[in-house]
Amino acid sequence: MKRWAGVFASLLCWPLTVVATDEALTEVMRMLAGVRSLEVGFREEKTLAMLQQPLIATGRLYYQAPAYWRKQTVQPQPEDYVADGDWLTVETSDGGRRDFNLNGYPQLRPLVEAIRATQAGDRAALERYYRLDFQGAPAEWTLRLTPLDSTAAHYVAAIVMHGRNERILSVETLEPDGDRSLMTLELH
Amino acid sequence: MRRWRIPLIWLLAALLCGGIILKTPVATDLTLFVPRADPVAELLLEQLRSGPTTRLILIGLTGDAESERAAVSRRLAESLRASNSFVRIANGADALPETELQTLFAHRYLLSPTVSPERFTPDALRAALRQRLRELQSPLAAVQKRWLPADPTGELLTLLKRWQGEIREPAKRLGVWFSPNGDRALLLAETGAAGYDLAGQRHAVMAIRAAFAKVAAGTTVALQMSGPGVIATLAEDTVRAEAELLSILATLGIMLILVLVYRSARTVWIGALPMLAALLAGAAAVDLLFGKMYALTLAFSMTLLGETLDYPTYLFSHRQAGETVWDTLRGLWPTLRLCAATTLLGCLAMIAPDVPGLSQLGVFTIAGIIAAVTTTRWLLPVLLPPDWRPARVIGAGIWMDTLLKPRPWRALAVGVGGLLVLLALLIKAPPVWEDDIAALSPVPRELLRLDQELRSGLGAPEVGQLIAVTAPDAETALQQSEIVAAWLDARQQEGLLAGYEAAARYLPSQQTQRQRQAHLPDLEALTANLARAAEGLPFQPGLFTPFLDAIAAARTAPPVQPEDWRGTLLGTRIGILLFPGERGWTALLPLSGVKNPQWLAANLPSSQATHAFYLDLRAETNRLVSGFRATALQRLTWGVVLIVAVVWMGLRSWRGVIAALTPVTVALIFTVAVLLSLGERLSLFHLVSLLLVLGIGVDYGLFFSRPAADPVQRRQTLHALLVCCGSALTVFGMLATSELPALRAIGLTVSIGVAASFSTALVMARPILIRMG
Repeated sequence: MKRWAGVFASLLCWPLTVVATDEALTEVMRMLAGVRSLEVGFREEKTLAMLQQPLIATGRLYYQAPAYWRKQTVQPQPEDYVADGDWLTVETSDGGRRDFNLNGYPQLRPLVEAIRATQAGDRAALERYYRLDFQGAPAEWTLRLTPLDSTAAHYVAAIVMHGRNERILSVETLEPDGDRSLMTLELH
Repeated sequence: MRRWRIPLIWLLAALLCGGIILKTPVATDLTLFVPRADPVAELLLEQLRSGPTTRLILIGLTGDAESERAAVSRRLAESLRASNSFVRIANGADALPETELQTLFAHRYLLSPTVSPERFTPDALRAALRQRLRELQSPLAAVQKRWLPADPTGELLTLLKRWQGEIREPAKRLGVWFSPNGDRALLLAETGAAGYDLAGQRHAVMAIRAAFAKVAAGTTVALQMSGPGVIATLAEDTVRAEAELLSILATLGIMLILVLVYRSARTVWIGALPMLAALLAGAAAVDLLFGKMYALTLAFSMTLLGETLDYPTYLFSHRQAGETVWDTLRGLWPTLRLCAATTLLGCLAMIAPDVPGLSQLGVFTIAGIIAAVTTTRWLLPVLLPPDWRPARVIGAGIWMDTLLKPRPWRALAVGVGGLLVLLALLIKAPPVWEDDIAALSPVPRELLRLDQELRSGLGAPEVGQLIAVTAPDAETALQQSEIVAAWLDARQQEGLLAGYEAAARYLPSQQTQRQRQAHLPDLEALTANLARAAEGLPFQPGLFTPFLDAIAAARTAPPVQPEDWRGTLLGTRIGILLFPGERGWTALLPLSGVKNPQWLAANLPSSQATHAFYLDLRAETNRLVSGFRATALQRLTWGVVLIVAVVWMGLRSWRGVIAALTPVTVALIFTVAVLLSLGERLSLFHLVSLLLVLGIGVDYGLFFSRPAADPVQRRQTLHALLVCCGSALTVFGMLATSELPALRAIGLTVSIGVAASFSTALVMARPILIRMG
């Protein structure tokens, strides 16, 4: 009887927890949206089945509300990705500079929006491409993005972000074949 | 019973002709007008009929919101691809199907141009591995990494770049092609049916319409289509619709004139019989001799109405009390016969075995005129009561005598006027000829403009510059186009052209493939090289076993041949650039952004060794059109000589000949002058119409100069010619209002010509006759 009471109680509370996490997500999004600009260093560790040891890259990230996002890799070789509005500019040491209109490459857009729209606190944009699973409280949160589009799901199983209040601390990209990359952001 | 024998025969003949006509297809291609037996022209002909560009259907989607246009574009592409009735549907969202990607991957070491002995040295391999490592670091690595173990040198990437490379892609929005300003979503459909296969093209166009109707339901997106096939089918439809409408209107107009003038319903159907006979006989003769009827001939058949209607009119106006219909016809016969004979001989000159299009026009007219004049001479009197006369002829009367009174000075003035105009034309030499093949096309200009817009939006190849290589077999054609391609690469470096396509770029000759095979190292050497190359790099041991296996397999693999690609997307692209024909194989190298066609054409690697021909399609077709026009002109000249001869034989008097022919000569000068001053450039249509004007004008001259002393008869002649001229003006005036260049040219030329011929014949024929007498 007591056990049943527990089940009953948790059933009663279940919608409440959903409402609670949804409110927390809204709160986190609001906090993230409050950040007008950002410059942080990053360290990325890619673990691939093909390689004996992980690939490590470091560089800096820049953000300017609402839609400017730049990932500038310094080590092991310079690379520059700039997403500004609908345009993605890629500059590599050997490939030169190339511009893509994100509207023309639907497979690229979700990848860009995962981090840019999160930082902008743009929940609607995220929900256009991902299923959102939020856990925790604003003080310590985890947001898991699962691609809605089947083509995107071919290359990305999920993107998991950890954060504290208005700060994203890490972005982990999980590929369906088990390969993964973990990017940690650190303030200077 | 005897009375009905002739009508019965006529009816049977008419039914027979109708039966023949119903079974004969109408062809729209212009190639019938291209002279045969010129190798370049033959290639050109093949290109015009079935070349790669003739298979393209350009599709534009307008209206509604951008997202709707993009969504409809996706759904339309999916639906059309699923229908399997197209070779290719491209809207920017398309990728190579997985199976074909695998095919390309399987043959990468024979197909890739980057395969060379240096490619597999330790240093080169190390550089390649470092490059792959860099790519793994990129956020986009997930897409590429699956190929890495078997293809560390990145040959697939080279091949894919090649396949996607040469096409200048349109701007994309929401993942699909759009026009630069975003108004139109763009798609490209490639039909399996050749451009000249009108039934196949019509089928494709209908499939697109049906698919669009389904996928665009509920939106306000509108469909636009263009391309040679679409234009051809639409042209056939519009020509047919407009010709039908105009001929109905013209027939109504003529019926009105006949009823008003003669006040007799009988004149309408009796008058229509020779015309009907002419159309049936003309079409049947063309069908029997050529197997198909060219749409242009059909359009031209309209002009025949003009002359055949005149024959019964002569009869109606010349009827008088006291003589039977037979008597009247017997009196008219020498002139009537001469009228028909002049037209016949004029047209006989157009028949030439090497220009089937022109011959068709000639055959059509000859058969038509014979049928019309025979009907008038032998059928009409049987159908009319012997003493029949139009109830009350309106218009004829004494007032005509003022008009008919010979005024030598006026005749002289007109003659001198004609001479002056001729001199002015010769001195001023305005642009006279229209050599652009577009002007020959029976296509509304609006459609051509849409075609231009879609074409530039899609970056689709213009029907333009290309090099054609001919060879006895596919392998030789490929080898020779490799020589030409190497030369073109160098020219591209110099900036003489922006790019080119060639089958050999995608499918190298077997000779080249074998050379590449010879460059591939053996397993032992490659294993050693790879081990040295991978030293110190983090790749897992044994990761590249698939690479070692692939190279070993490629060393003994049979070369890829055109047949291996049959039925695939890749095979289709190759099949368009390399195909068997009547005399061996042809490889095409379409060029884009050519700076100086003349220079390229002149400096092409010796065509002795390569059998390469430079084709500037536009210039060549225009050259053919002008050549064709020159032939037509020459034949018309012969026609004129024949006409003079036959008029002399009929009249046996130079006086009569001059009296009959001077007016029409002056009239032709006036007609040309008026056309040119209206800003028209003379095309084939004008030229052929001038021939008709000549035929009608000679008739007028003959009738006005008939040796009839009786003033009543002269009034009757004037009356007949007034009616003829009036009905011709009605018919051709209507044609002149047409939007279609062809019908407009015919209408304008004949109405001006008929009016001029009538006036000059009236003013000049008799004075000349009298003066010289």
